Amino acid sequence: MFEYTVLAGIMYGLYFGLVGIGLNLIFGVMRMINLAHGDFIMLGAFLAYWLFHLFGINPLIAIAISCVVFLFLGIAFYYIFVPRLLQSKDPEMLSFILFFGLSQVIEAIIILSFGNNQRSVPSSTFGHSTFSILGNRFPISWLIVTIVAILVFIAVYWYFYHTKLGYATRAIMASRDESLVSGINVNRVSAFAFSIGLILASIAGIFSFFMIGAAYPSMGTNLTVISFAIIVLGALGNPMGTIIGGLIYGLAIMFMQTYLSSWSNLLPYLLLIAIMLFKPEGLIGKTVRSA
Amino acid sequence: MLKKRIGSFGIILIIALIFIFLPFVYNNQSFLFNMMLYIALAEGLNIIYGFTGYLPFGYVGFFGAGAYSASLAILFLHFPPLLSIFIGGAGAFLVGIILMPLLKLSGAYFAIANLAASQALYYIVANPNLESITHGPYGISLASIYNPHASYYTMLAVLVLSMIIVLFIRTSNFGLSLLAIKEDHITASLAGVNVAKARAIAWGLSAFVAGLSGACFAWYVSVFYPGTVFSLNISVIVIVFALFGGIGTIAGPLVGALILYSFYNFIGISAPEYFQLLYGILIIVLVLFLPDGITSILQKRKIYVP
Amino acid sequence: MFKLRSLFFSSLMFILIFSATSTFGKSIPSVIKIGTLYASTGPFAKASESQFKGLKFWVHNVNSKGGVFVKAFKKKIPIKLVAYNDQSSTATAAAMYNQLITQDHANILVADFGSVLTSVAVPLAKEHRRLLFDVTGTGAKFFTPDNPYVVLTSLPTSGRWPYTLADFIIKHKINKIAIIYSSNDFDQSQAITLHNKLRKAGVDIVYYNAVPSSTSNYAVLLHSIKAKNPNAVIEFGYPNNDIAFLQNLGSSGLKFNMVFTVFPGQLFKLLKSNVGEQGLAYTYTYPTPPLLRYNKVNLGVGIDEFELAFKAYSGKSPNFLNVAGYNVGLIIKKTLETANRYNQLSFRRAIGKFSGKVFTLNGLFMVNKKGAQIGEILPIAQFVMKDSKLKMNIVYPEKMKTADAVYPAP
Repeated sequence: MFEYTVLAGIMYGLYFGLVGIGLNLIFGVMRMINLAHGDFIMLGAFLAYWLFHLFGINPLIAIAISCVVFLFLGIAFYYIFVPRLLQSKDPEMLSFILFFGLSQVIEAIIILSFGNNQRSVPSSTFGHSTFSILGNRFPISWLIVTIVAILVFIAVYWYFYHTKLGYATRAIMASRDESLVSGINVNRVSAFAFSIGLILASIAGIFSFFMIGAAYPSMGTNLTVISFAIIVLGALGNPMGTIIGGLIYGLAIMFMQTYLSSWSNLLPYLLLIAIMLFKPEGLIGKTVRSA
Repeated sequence: MLKKRIGSFGIILIIALIFIFLPFVYNNQSFLFNMMLYIALAEGLNIIYGFTGYLPFGYVGFFGAGAYSASLAILFLHFPPLLSIFIGGAGAFLVGIILMPLLKLSGAYFAIANLAASQALYYIVANPNLESITHGPYGISLASIYNPHASYYTMLAVLVLSMIIVLFIRTSNFGLSLLAIKEDHITASLAGVNVAKARAIAWGLSAFVAGLSGACFAWYVSVFYPGTVFSLNISVIVIVFALFGGIGTIAGPLVGALILYSFYNFIGISAPEYFQLLYGILIIVLVLFLPDGITSILQKRKIYVP
Repeated sequence: MFKLRSLFFSSLMFILIFSATSTFGKSIPSVIKIGTLYASTGPFAKASESQFKGLKFWVHNVNSKGGVFVKAFKKKIPIKLVAYNDQSSTATAAAMYNQLITQDHANILVADFGSVLTSVAVPLAKEHRRLLFDVTGTGAKFFTPDNPYVVLTSLPTSGRWPYTLADFIIKHKINKIAIIYSSNDFDQSQAITLHNKLRKAGVDIVYYNAVPSSTSNYAVLLHSIKAKNPNAVIEFGYPNNDIAFLQNLGSSGLKFNMVFTVFPGQLFKLLKSNVGEQGLAYTYTYPTPPLLRYNKVNLGVGIDEFELAFKAYSGKSPNFLNVAGYNVGLIIKKTLETANRYNQLSFRRAIGKFSGKVFTLNGLFMVNKKGAQIGEILPIAQFVMKDSKLKMNIVYPEKMKTADAVYPAP
């Protein structure tokens, strides 16, 4: 049982790293908390659902389609909202409220157009077989999700450290003002980074059926809160740190479910508060942020 | 200063009179009760957010703590309702003290940690293992002391109290020092302001108001589940109300709650299917075009807003 | 000063008397106002909208026949449905219920779906002396001897649900039971009842745990359960929990002799579309109409006829909550046809009169003195595969049985 819990926790945790990473990227670049993050995950899930049921498109192919869709969506959202927001007195706080409004609008539009039903892409999409590690059997869909998550993390890493745009993104994350002075087109790079954040959220949504059950319009809020916990556990503003946060979350949940099930959803919050208070920079972060 | 105080007192008096007599002509008491509740909560949030800049995203934690402390005082200690309401405030105040270390954090960090704290509190209260104490998921029934009229006027008293606290802060040296801290806490501490103490007082008062409100709510509805009084929506609604009006004043949160809650009910009744959509759009438009709230229109014209 | 006060009070009295006579006067109303709430968003939206649609369908039906016969006026009067959106929020719901009572002067008050949204209506209805037709709010604490203003029309209180399930397990001598439930009022009260009944009968319970209602992944939990090697796994949850549980069970490759979940019997199509036929095969549930086919009725239409009519009306086949929403309409109709006088307490007396004698497409309608439903029983059904199609058999109790249970599951 112990072994099974550890292995399941790692796979589940990598998936939750994927759930949180987009939120963290956007926070890192824009210093704004995307309260609609969970709703973009929901949009990804609904996109995958419709592609699958209308055209029989496999979720793996849905990734490519969602990249295109959310790239444009992200750039549009960025230019509509962010430049105006940045001129205000307190963009950090006001963005909180703005994205909350956005999340309400997204949820409402989905309900008005598709209704409130739960929807699923069947887990049999990837076959009914199971695979085993060290004598523990897991559904094959878990293996696929794990591989996708790892590939996404590699892609994000490659973007940050091996592309021009990635360098610029990191420069903005270090200091927006200095980047402006050094001639980086901050708005263009940020808009692109914002899109990537949404794309990452949508990919998490595409695979949500296999890890967190059916999708429904109001699933977003809960996912946003969990994503918060994860990115704080890792390191706020450091996307790669999210992987650590996700792993801790996944393992913690699985262990709690095994040994103390009724308390299992308390744990992430207690962890979050403890880390905030005693190691506010996150487990692998560097800069201390306290007032 | 004195003139401003009298002006503000006038507003409080008018509000109190309105809510005393309105039930005689307009008998949807629940609507009026909720209106008072949201004004009191918006003013309570204003104490900490408006004067120190800390955004308590988990403000509902105090509300729920108040509702539960009061209910437990009634159910287990058989305290009379009014004393129990006070216990509700005290319970939330206690939670505030426990969460005091969170004030070390800044900006979004504080907001998130506070949110996590409120959720943690919710899961503790709702846990089936604590059923003998909190009734766990079964929720609370205060049917034996149900009294909508008494709880209505108690809520009114809490509303007046919350506004008086804001009035006091706004027109006192304490308020000035809070604003100085908000502007730049290092300079303020160099100027001799006890930063930690001032913040702690504002935090405690803010929690106390939310606790009293939660306790009144518990008494007024008399049957509720943990999810009812720890719903994240309450935090969000109150933040939006306060921002809409404009923080840092008495009038701002008051006007914000009056207008938005009326609007909220208006769409709920007249265009129920577009409820959420309209509300979301309103919030977005507000942040983009009126980020300092509607009272800022007056302030920009150099008109004093109490 | 004194004069002013007496003037104030006398005018107040005048207003009160005036409003009292105008509302409760003998004049025959042109419409019967039914006030209700529904949620278009939030956790209860799906269920709430279904229930609301059922009620709307009933209103549509009676109005197309000129309304409902009101015995007190010896006349047919059309129905007007006043409905607001509470967004699954209890605070909003409280204000909206109050709106229905005090502003719209709704003659009949119908609660929104489920215990949470019904909870705030119970004290309000009592305070304003308005009879609350509670459709699916099964929380036991709503029903007290001192409150005549609430009647549960559709389901027994949740603590009674597992009665037949417990009998089934005991009768079939199934030992080693695992119970996993979501920690909310509805599921926990079922778990406790089942636990106590089985314990009393000497059945071994090897696993008994609560999980948060937000649980969406049961993979590890299922392995913990398997480690105890139970014969039967009983999962009490909300629809989301049941879907996740059955999905995880299907993909995990684990097998149990008996698996029971709550919602396939209520929201069959929803569960089938999310879990698949394979995922439901050989599991057990509480069947409710339209899975249960009550055609011998003495009020309204039978389930066959209802299904056709509802499909023609809404384009979709009905689920249980559509039936429940329609059923409350039938009870309202019967109440108005029976009550000698047009006031809330005589409505309640009328219900007491026909309680136990009325059989609708939802089963026997019978309430106890507190207004709680005791007529309907929830039998046990099993889904089986026949010619590679999913079919449902009622396997318990004996008098309703259509086939023997396939135990252990293949």
